[in-house]
Amino acid sequence: MVTSRPSPMPPPSASHKGGRRGWAWLDTLHAYLFISPQVLGFLALVLGPLIAVFVFSLQSRNLLTGRVAFVGLSNFRAVLGDRLFYAVLTNSLTFTAGLVALNVTLALGLALLLARGFRGSTAFRTLFFASVITSAAAWAIVWRFILQGEHGVLNQFLGLVGIDGPNWLREPRWAMASVIVTRVLKNVGLNMTIYLAALKSIPDEYAEAARVDGASGWGILRAITIPLLAPTTLFVSIITVTSALQVFDHILLMTAGGPENATNVLVYYIYRQAFQFFDIGYASALAVFLFIAALGLTLAMWMVRGRAAPV
Amino acid sequence: MRRVVAVALLLVFAVGSAALSAERSALRFTIWSGNQAHLDLLNGIAAAYRSTHPNVEVRFDVVPFGDYIQKITIQIASGTAPDLGWLLETSAPTFINAGVLVDASSTLRPDKAYAFGDFSAPALQLWVRKNAIYGVPFSTSPFIVFFNRDHFKAAKLAPPDQLAARGAWTWEALRRSAYAVARTAGTGVYGFESVDGQGYDVRVWHTLIPVIRAYGGDAWVGDECGLASPEAVKAVGFYHDMIFKDRSVVPPGEQGDFFSGRSAMTIAQLSRVSKLEGAKFAWGIAPLPAGPAGQVGVIGQAAIVVFAKSPNRRAALDFLKFMTNAENTAKMSKFFPPARDSVLQSQDFLTANPLVSPQQMKIVADGIRSGKVLPSHPNYPRIEAGARPVFDRLWRADASVPAVLRDVCNVIQPLLKQ
Repeated sequence: MVTSRPSPMPPPSASHKGGRRGWAWLDTLHAYLFISPQVLGFLALVLGPLIAVFVFSLQSRNLLTGRVAFVGLSNFRAVLGDRLFYAVLTNSLTFTAGLVALNVTLALGLALLLARGFRGSTAFRTLFFASVITSAAAWAIVWRFILQGEHGVLNQFLGLVGIDGPNWLREPRWAMASVIVTRVLKNVGLNMTIYLAALKSIPDEYAEAARVDGASGWGILRAITIPLLAPTTLFVSIITVTSALQVFDHILLMTAGGPENATNVLVYYIYRQAFQFFDIGYASALAVFLFIAALGLTLAMWMVRGRAAPV
Repeated sequence: MRRVVAVALLLVFAVGSAALSAERSALRFTIWSGNQAHLDLLNGIAAAYRSTHPNVEVRFDVVPFGDYIQKITIQIASGTAPDLGWLLETSAPTFINAGVLVDASSTLRPDKAYAFGDFSAPALQLWVRKNAIYGVPFSTSPFIVFFNRDHFKAAKLAPPDQLAARGAWTWEALRRSAYAVARTAGTGVYGFESVDGQGYDVRVWHTLIPVIRAYGGDAWVGDECGLASPEAVKAVGFYHDMIFKDRSVVPPGEQGDFFSGRSAMTIAQLSRVSKLEGAKFAWGIAPLPAGPAGQVGVIGQAAIVVFAKSPNRRAALDFLKFMTNAENTAKMSKFFPPARDSVLQSQDFLTANPLVSPQQMKIVADGIRSGKVLPSHPNYPRIEAGARPVFDRLWRADASVPAVLRDVCNVIQPLLKQ
């Protein structure tokens, strides 16, 4: 096989080298100018608030009165002694586990289905992605109607097949499941699209070679497709975990943390402490715990993935 | 010489312009109603003020009710406080104690034409501390019963206003009517809907307090929780039976809007009349029903306040005085029942709202005179947040009403004492 090799660049002349050295600072300046909007934005909108949260967590700080006092670690001690915090943390982890498992599985399944290509697959893909760009408020209003206890569409439908459906959003054991499923249905289209792009980047030759060797469809999926999708799965899992831990609007609009705190998750709890009780210090201490939880889960996923198959 | 004169003239012009622009004020006024009829009324008052104060512009900034306190608190904390705003009775003690409201007494009390003494003393209780005035009530609105006359007619029932006229309008009568309508009106129509349909959530206190007070109890008195009292237990048990035994109340998790005709009765305030303009059914209003303790009115109140961090404090106080003078109070009484006795007793108030007859407006006026404002407390946000998850347990058919109310008291009692 003949391969073409790019011809090497001619060596720069001494005078040209000197010229480049003379103007090198301008190149550096250009580079800094190009990245400065991103860096400034990051410093002002991400790093600054992040540092502020850590500082506020060491203060007694009332949003309404503006009174501030240094209290050391007492906000953290108060968090650890707050029984509701543990319930809220458990809710957040339950929501995250349920959402990630359901979202990633469903997204992969839908992507595999769409990758086969069938009549109407474009419409199907558009349908699933439409919910991603639908406003959270509209989505919640529609689902609150669907999930009504007596006259909700879902229970009416279940009634036709002889099932007496529960009061989905008013019973603690069903409320969490309801918010997870409705959230998955809203956002699964995004992960599905990411998986679809990853599937299209896998060369067909691998599957063809395996088929020649006698592998079944399930075998190809298990031994070739899923392992090759591992980096994508890691990426999808990380963004789904972080967005699940940060869920707020969906909870506010669907259940406002009820019933009986069954869907009260960490960010909603932080919001209440900060903007209903005006206790910014305590809310910041909770936010530090959230940061640690998100960081811990992300690192754990990296490590598990690293051990299984280095990316 | 000519050059010196030109420079001097320029300086005079510059200083003059600066002085003029210093007096120019753009007042930002936060409200929670986006209703066009309410906005037209408020903008009309602002336009009248501007005709005599051309340098002052008033802009009404609508913040949704659910986000109101959070948003204005953030604005205060971030140095972008509004100049004036509406404030609900439940937030009054918290905001006054926090020192974020301006004492308007030196602006309002000395002005004889303003006649601060015209405001009824009970209506001012929450807003006046010794001589200081931290807010002027613009809406002292009693809770009243709105009913769908067509549903009553179809069920062959005497409507609430007729029952009230002959002294037979009781909670028992309301229960019988709600039950009868729910049985005759068909699927999806209920006999009664809680306040704004939010009686299991943000309006749980507004829904329960009318019935609790009619039975002789209260949510709390001073720093003592009253929910575990026999009167409160009986009252809440009565309402619980309406929901789960009679199945005549829009149940938890269900949407049944009175204003679209899907419920025969609801409890609301006069401002909700604007939602009935063009209603496809005949409607009426009646006072709150009587209970074993008699007919006890419940008032929801909101006041206009000037925020301490207002950059235009002097202009804001002046506009507060203008907006709450007798003339503008009379204009606003169309939707917001007044706390000024002179307006309350006037014929103008009885005819202020074309959708409401003078006889119906008299029900509102009577409700203000005999009613008691909803309970409030400096710790109200925590009381509300602490009680709600416990109240959630009440909204099941098999709930033990005494046990739940005892648990609510266990949660809120320490907060009431703080």
